[in-house]
Amino acid sequence: MLLIGESLNVISTKIGRAFKERNPVPIQEEAKKQKELGMDFIDINLGPARKGGPELMEWVVKTVQEVVDDVPLALDTSNIEAIEAGLAVCNGRPLINSIMCRPARYEKMLPICAKYNARMIALLWGPHGMPRDEHERAELAVELVYAANEAGIANEDIFIDGIVTPVNVQQDQVYSLLQFMPMVQDLGEGLRSTCGLSNVSNGSPNHLRPIINRTYMVMLEKNGLYSAIADAYDKDLVDIARGRRSDIVEIIGKVMDEEPIDMSSISKELQDYVKTARILLKKALYSDSWLEL
Amino acid sequence: MSFEIPKINYTGKVKEITIGAGNKTATVGGRDCFPFHLFEGSMPHKPIIAMEIWDMEPEGWPEAAIEPFKDVISDPPAWAKKCVEEYGAQIIVVQLKSTDPNDKDRSADEAADMAKKIVDAVPVPVVFWGTAVNEKDEKVLKKIAEVCEGENVSLSPVEEPIHKGVGASALGYKHTVVASTPIDINLAKQLNILLGNLGVPDSQLLNDPTTGGLGYGIEYAYSVMERITQAGLTQEDEKLQIPMINNLGNEIWKCKEASQPEEEVPNMGEPGRRAILMEAVGAVCYLLAGSDILIMRHPESIKLAQEMIDDLMAEN
Repeated sequence: MLLIGESLNVISTKIGRAFKERNPVPIQEEAKKQKELGMDFIDINLGPARKGGPELMEWVVKTVQEVVDDVPLALDTSNIEAIEAGLAVCNGRPLINSIMCRPARYEKMLPICAKYNARMIALLWGPHGMPRDEHERAELAVELVYAANEAGIANEDIFIDGIVTPVNVQQDQVYSLLQFMPMVQDLGEGLRSTCGLSNVSNGSPNHLRPIINRTYMVMLEKNGLYSAIADAYDKDLVDIARGRRSDIVEIIGKVMDEEPIDMSSISKELQDYVKTARILLKKALYSDSWLEL
Repeated sequence: MSFEIPKINYTGKVKEITIGAGNKTATVGGRDCFPFHLFEGSMPHKPIIAMEIWDMEPEGWPEAAIEPFKDVISDPPAWAKKCVEEYGAQIIVVQLKSTDPNDKDRSADEAADMAKKIVDAVPVPVVFWGTAVNEKDEKVLKKIAEVCEGENVSLSPVEEPIHKGVGASALGYKHTVVASTPIDINLAKQLNILLGNLGVPDSQLLNDPTTGGLGYGIEYAYSVMERITQAGLTQEDEKLQIPMINNLGNEIWKCKEASQPEEEVPNMGEPGRRAILMEAVGAVCYLLAGSDILIMRHPESIKLAQEMIDDLMAEN
């Protein structure tokens, strides 16, 4: 599982202010920290960046590369000019985060991606917004991958993002993404995949967010997920992604395979993973107190 | 080969709950099938239509709603009695409108005095419904709980921010809690869990999934109630097997279509009849969605809804 660090992000007060004040110190500290924590990509999220986006992206990319020049970057903003300005100064092969499945957007962005030999996240957000189920996800993916291939982008450089929704309000959609994952390889050999993992726990109590994120990552990976945009500071999550917690992966796999589990014979920690996996599999209805039931 | 009607495999059952105390009680729930699916299971208790009164003389009611109560409308205990004696109400719901901090802002003590008078005046269980201003509701409902000790009145709406305060009062003075959540199945489940953690037994719990008026969100309320019913009856979700109560009349009669004059909307018919039918049709929706206690206002619409209940519950 490749990890894309999510926290160089305008929504963090510290980073947001550093962007605004062009203060390189917090940005460089964050980038170094993410490298130390073993991130495979560092996501630079400017948000919409409507004003001065291109200049800001260029500056942030250069600022990060001054201290970390061997971790590829993901350029994350809805401002297309800002993406292009970032690509122009990136070392290595950055990842565009993201190109959505709307012709008006991708017709502009795919040629830019090809021109800079960049990689791209293909966000399955269509002309009508969020796909309603795994089949609509597949439809959107076919359209976007076809257009990307036409533009000269290879499957190996396309990271399909099937869109993660919060489990506390959209349990059906959480399940639908799990169903979609195995379809990705059928849509085109070599296609990669990714997702904004932490969104699955958006709105859940803060102290319970990590276990939802980790469990969902394991489940998505079992169904084919290649990478995730995730919280670099969740040590257990990184350990799981690096194959250091096979006990957790194994027990979640059992839940997915509907193997019987003797709850009394496993630790409280693993019991919690079992309960969480059942919620994500829609076997029980979500509530904030799911671990207490 | 003969045709067999497909049947749903139910694994759960709505809890049976009795509100009121002594010889003033009403029991709902106990249903182990979807509403009125008597070919698949049983409904030991019919859904009950509760009649609402206000704890002050209403302002801004359409003429048709005032008409049946005009002799008692400024006297809440007499109003409540009339509902029982003349219209056969099995439950009285007191809308605590006088306590609205943005309006009359009557104190908790005053509201509780009136509450006690109403409880004493009628031979049926009473539900008290606040104004959904949490801070004020907490004060008022706690005071009512205290002065009505042992009567097992129902306290509503108990939303998450006040569940501890009102829940503790309900436990201490033996009343029923109406857990209220904003049209969301996950939050409904969560509040039931929190009240359970506090020690409120399921036998003292009703659920208010939030009621939308006809044309004002009824379809959202319907589908959430439908999902709650499915989770409770077919997915073994024990936390969603609580009988539901819907504050319907209040929603129907306050919308503009309930009182718009015929000249303004000639295609909607005569306003009195129109509002009565709106309330009756709303009632049908909520009954089919799984409502166990339906709060209504007009005797005519109540009669129509009751006829439907009786028809659907008839043996043949």
